[in-house]
Amino acid sequence: MPDTPPAATAPPAGYAALDALPPTAAGAEVWAALGGAGLLRRAYRDGSAGAGTDPAGLADLLAAVDARFGLAATLSVSVQLATALPVLAAGRHPAARQALDSALAGRSTVALAATDETPGTDLTALRTEVRTDGGGLTLTGTKKWIANATTATHHLVLARHRPGRHFTHFTWVLVPADAPGATVRPADTALYAAAGTGHLTLDAVRLGTDHLLGRTGFGLPLFARHIATERLAGAQWGVALCRRALAATHRHLADRPHGDGTLWDLPPVRQRFAACLVRVQELNALTDGFAQAVAHRYDATAAATLKAAAGATVHHVLDTCAQLWGAEGFRTGGIQELRAQAALFAIGGGAEEVVLGTVADAADSVLDALARPGTLP
Amino acid sequence: MDPRFTALLRPFLKHAGPGEPALTPDTDLRKLGVDSMQAIELLFTIEDTFGISLPDEELNDTTFATAGSLWRVIAAQLPGEVTA
Repeated sequence: MPDTPPAATAPPAGYAALDALPPTAAGAEVWAALGGAGLLRRAYRDGSAGAGTDPAGLADLLAAVDARFGLAATLSVSVQLATALPVLAAGRHPAARQALDSALAGRSTVALAATDETPGTDLTALRTEVRTDGGGLTLTGTKKWIANATTATHHLVLARHRPGRHFTHFTWVLVPADAPGATVRPADTALYAAAGTGHLTLDAVRLGTDHLLGRTGFGLPLFARHIATERLAGAQWGVALCRRALAATHRHLADRPHGDGTLWDLPPVRQRFAACLVRVQELNALTDGFAQAVAHRYDATAAATLKAAAGATVHHVLDTCAQLWGAEGFRTGGIQELRAQAALFAIGGGAEEVVLGTVADAADSVLDALARPGTLP
Repeated sequence: MDPRFTALLRPFLKHAGPGEPALTPDTDLRKLGVDSMQAIELLFTIEDTFGISLPDEELNDTTFATAGSLWRVIAAQLPGEVTA
């Protein structure tokens, strides 16, 4: 039991722009509505994408979007808010400034093109390369499974400027979607079409050096910082998604006749449901506990912990909800579709195995932090 | 090497046991546990602690090979620091 009862939740205010859209709206439409209403800046301290994340503002936006639209649309918004725009804010040249202003106003979307043809779990093996020659840049490579790729006016491309795996061999480049040699084809997926998911091919794309984003050789450090924020966003979103799925499942169970009562009256059903309530509250508490460490200090271990917890919790909760819906869950747009989409939580933005590896690397400090001072022999 | 630098570096050397000799300029950072993720955190810690930005042209595997090579690049950014 919490020490004090939670305060009454105020009715959501300021989301009229979202309410005007149909539930089937795609990510780019949702993004345009958020930007047009001036809501996107709420995700950042001082309203500036370069100033760092405001965890509460970010969580509110993700919850508001999740409550109204499909999972793919929320993915589109989450990636841009948590990672793409903060990476873009590292750009100092006019092209980056203009792209950022346009995105924050909802006039355009931005794709974060990090994952290459090579596995995302082996990022330093990526092959996309940027060469500096004749006072300009030449980019060649392929990026796969990129959210917002089919709608973006700009792609943020993580490329290598030097062979080898060292972390200093990578740099971000701002690539206009209409640059000659840049082509996008939609990914073959019904699950993530509304996120504008696609594959980006860069065939000797020529750009000025003013399209370098951030410092040369700082690509992976910049990515590491902002993927931490994306992992926080994923945990915040996971709480909202689980709450939504559990609320819908609760209504379903309470309305579904069974014997002299309803499915909700069956002890095994109630117990399985209650176990999900416990899990989502655990994730919520963990997210609240680590939000400042990730948002202000880019704490990689805290972010990896959140990501691992979100993947496991979302998997458990949606698996259970899907089971409790029975055959009804298989209808078009039903819980089984949501369950399939939500597998993303243990894959995108750092596969479960990768983030658990990060937590394992910090085993000593995690154990130290769990010890109560002065209690150990 | 500056004591601030060796103190800063020590927590990143997860494979350095208690019997590990004192840090020397030849200390191999990778062998002692500074992998990619650790090196990224080390880079941020260095820049925050010393209030410097390592030059882009020095961001390479040679700089991060040993304690001595890393310190030389840091020291070059510190006014009045002897880099030898």
